[in-house]
Amino acid sequence: MARTAEVGGVIRPVDGRLRALATRTRRLSEIARESLRNPTTLIGGVIVVLFLLMALFAPLLIEPNTPNAYQMPRDFSSVNVPPGTDGHVLGTTPTGGDVLYGIVWGARTSLRLSIIVVAITVVIGVAVGSFAGFLGGKWDEVLMRLVDVFLSVPELIFALAIAAVLGPAFGNIILALAVVFWVKYARIIRGQIIHVKQNEYVDAARVMGDKRWRIFLKDVLPNSITPVVVQATVDMGHVVLIGATLSFIGLAEAGLAEWGNLVSEGQSGIIAGRWWVATFAGAMVFLWSLAFNLLGDGLRDVLDPKSERR
Amino acid sequence: MQVREYIARRLLTLPILMLGVSILVFGLSRVGGSPIGIYIEHEMTPAEVAKIEERYGLDESLPQQYIAWLGGVVRGDLGWSGVSAAPVSSIILPKLMATMELAMLAALIAVVLGVSMGTFGGARKNKLGDHLTRVVAISGASIPIFWFGLLLLIVFYLGFGWAPLGRADPSIYARIGHPTGLYTVDSLLNLDFGAFTDALWHLALPAITMGYGSTAIIARMMRSSLVEELGEDYVDAARAKGLPERLVIRRHARRNALMPTMTVIGLSWGFLLQGTVVVELIFNWPGLGRWMTDAVLQGDQATIMSYVLITSIIFLAVNLVVDVAYAYLDRRVVLGD
Amino acid sequence: MVHAVDGVTLDIHEGETLGLVGETGSGKSVTAKSLLRLVPTPPGVYAGGEVSFRPRNSGEAVDLLRIPDQQLRGIRGNRIAMIFQDPAKALNPALSVKQQLAEVFAEHRSSELFRDAKIVAGPPGTRPLLRRAAHRHSTFFERRLLDLPPFRAMEKRLERELDERIASALSATRIPNPAKVMNSYPHELSGGMKQRVMIAQALACDPDLLIADEPTTALDVTIQARILDLIQDLQEQHHAAVLYISHDLSLVKRISDRVSVMYAGKLVETATTQQLFDDPLHPYTRALLAAVPTAEQARGELAAIEGTVPELVDPEPSCRFHSRCPHAGPICAAREPQLLTRKQQHRAACFLYDDPQDLGCPVDLMPQSQVSETQ
Repeated sequence: MARTAEVGGVIRPVDGRLRALATRTRRLSEIARESLRNPTTLIGGVIVVLFLLMALFAPLLIEPNTPNAYQMPRDFSSVNVPPGTDGHVLGTTPTGGDVLYGIVWGARTSLRLSIIVVAITVVIGVAVGSFAGFLGGKWDEVLMRLVDVFLSVPELIFALAIAAVLGPAFGNIILALAVVFWVKYARIIRGQIIHVKQNEYVDAARVMGDKRWRIFLKDVLPNSITPVVVQATVDMGHVVLIGATLSFIGLAEAGLAEWGNLVSEGQSGIIAGRWWVATFAGAMVFLWSLAFNLLGDGLRDVLDPKSERR
Repeated sequence: MQVREYIARRLLTLPILMLGVSILVFGLSRVGGSPIGIYIEHEMTPAEVAKIEERYGLDESLPQQYIAWLGGVVRGDLGWSGVSAAPVSSIILPKLMATMELAMLAALIAVVLGVSMGTFGGARKNKLGDHLTRVVAISGASIPIFWFGLLLLIVFYLGFGWAPLGRADPSIYARIGHPTGLYTVDSLLNLDFGAFTDALWHLALPAITMGYGSTAIIARMMRSSLVEELGEDYVDAARAKGLPERLVIRRHARRNALMPTMTVIGLSWGFLLQGTVVVELIFNWPGLGRWMTDAVLQGDQATIMSYVLITSIIFLAVNLVVDVAYAYLDRRVVLGD
Repeated sequence: MVHAVDGVTLDIHEGETLGLVGETGSGKSVTAKSLLRLVPTPPGVYAGGEVSFRPRNSGEAVDLLRIPDQQLRGIRGNRIAMIFQDPAKALNPALSVKQQLAEVFAEHRSSELFRDAKIVAGPPGTRPLLRRAAHRHSTFFERRLLDLPPFRAMEKRLERELDERIASALSATRIPNPAKVMNSYPHELSGGMKQRVMIAQALACDPDLLIADEPTTALDVTIQARILDLIQDLQEQHHAAVLYISHDLSLVKRISDRVSVMYAGKLVETATTQQLFDDPLHPYTRALLAAVPTAEQARGELAAIEGTVPELVDPEPSCRFHSRCPHAGPICAAREPQLLTRKQQHRAACFLYDDPQDLGCPVDLMPQSQVSETQ
């Protein structure tokens, strides 16, 4: 039951915005169900779930290395072992790292990377976008120019430069990606605020004494959830793709159980016929990114078929 | 708004964005500690370090340093490249040409392949050809370039024993003159077709690796905008005139579908440019990307700064050209329809 | 499965104008498009029926739904032409007026163009090349070849012929300064001008049948009348049959010889214009006529038909108007009325005019005609 309160003679539901939010979220689960009917989206969803299971249960699948489980264990007695060997199902790297270990724990690394980066960028993006949208005028102009400047540098190159300046470390990769990826969220939120601002009902709300944060919670947030969720889904894949590229180039700590790192380790062996390290590890990056792309695509198709073009 | 006015406004934003990028790049170089880090050796005393800092103007305030640096950039002084052990300006041109040759071929592949695949798929919506297009498009957007490049190496080198690395066969390289720095063009100017084939061989794998992602982006856009155009009234009107379906698509729908695709072609240049970093590393291509990765691993800031600046300027310039061309070609954009 | 159009029978005779009236969504446009097989399949399905067309001069009737594509293309734009609702959308924004009109001539009049441009024979083996040029089907390399000396002059003559025809087609629609309009792009023209270009394009090949799908709906009121006059005049000149589709009864009354009324994908009544407006038989037609605002009516009193058009997803056999009909009896919801001749040249699909004994239906299940008598 909705509680109501009298405000200047006008009866309106106090918890209307919460209810709107709840309906939105409920709608989101319906949307998820609907989009899974599409076979390609379903494939994406299944791969995502498999990766999540692999990441969450990594310690059960393969005994973690001590003291740091994210560091590849080295077995110097079996170096460059091809796949199918006892104890090293997917073979080993030139430094005796087990490829299977790298793949399983790499899933955990990727999950960590993508969740942290997406969480940070959504928060920054929403904050900047709201500032620009609500303050308007000069602030909006300046913040949006900033966004344009950020978009003027191709994202991989931007992230690469940041990570390079900060020095090779996984933490710096996270930082670099966070600096690069917030821009789209700021645009989504700002666009939504500008749109809502133009609608008269917000003026009405303002007259009735609504504060900005209320408008934000009631009108902006519910309408922005879907595009933000779609963008975040796609970014979950994209972050790992770019992150793996950075560590492939050599910006992660040596020996980190990360797919791009593993490919980099296996790269030199290719000419000598040792194809397995790069192939398996790279395939993981591809599948991860593909799965989230398929999922995001399916969501977008259901939510807003027209936006496919953007 | 008139086309000319639109273009003028678009031209005006370019210097603003470039200025913004330069501030960004400069800021970046000051975030990661001393920009002369790689020249300072362990046994130096603080006094010696301070002396070096003074020589490079690092004792001044940041805005002053920025203006000094920007002044240098405008005069063509991009600093000293540690990895090349030479001033950036003296070594950058051949690298730029090497990268441009690769990027232009990749762009050509991407545009031709992307547009035809998109048309093919869009004209056969939800049939087999369309599904194939979608598979290529979605996988191209997800595939790590470094993995795709290595896969090509594995297939062509391990499978067929063929994979020319680098830019040209050294002996062939030596026998021709290099007026443009683009080896394909140079070899043709020298009328040396053996060298031309050699240059193409060396270009093939890296260009394909680089072009795949852009092909995917373009094909995807082309497909969806063709599908949209095919639902328009003028397509029915063209059919009602008695035109064969081939012409309805080629002359009517495709022409209009190309318009929105053009902007994506501009944006996919960003994709191409960032691809050079990885592709040049894998195929040992002596271009800007290779230079950048070397600099990244050694923390050579002048090189990193120059690279980001140059790449962004190319990216912005290409997008400007695309936008202007778009405004000219599609009168509806600016005439507010 | 949506039955957008179901069992619609229209017949149009030479030189006649048939008006097709109905509300938005009643299936008028789909009917028009089906005549030229323009409904895309899939998702569309032509479940049955035929479109029998007999060109004026050949005499052989063909079924447009069954003839091969090639033959159909020879009829589209040539023997049967179509004008669309919104000229701004029906003209390709990227092609000039000339380019769009040239297509019609090139497609259907290439041999005449050949003759008039005095292209008897080029160098041996080049006839296909030139024919493709006249058809405007040339490939990139052929176009380069056509720029070379022996062909260049021929192409020039061809081009001149084409220009002449396009200009005269445009001036027939009273476009001032056709030479200028020819080289314009659609966005440079006003709505009325665009529709004139569409009409010029449609009448370029002197068609036997012109399908006009709400040709004035998207235009300003002041221009509507002029376009309507133009269509009427040109029809008389060309002696073409016209299928005039509109939701506007007063327009249809003005232009048509006979009128068909559509409701929810079905024809409910067909009559001469006079009969239909003086003595409408079907309750839907009556309601429609009552909804037309008249001068005597008090301001603000717009009559409307209660209810909405039913969904057309897998419809039950019934009169589709029964839920909104003041006369409806139980049989109307259970069986489908046939479109039968009730008076001379006047057909209606309504149980009001059926004999219960013929239907084998108890009298109390029939619609109540008394209501209608008192009206």
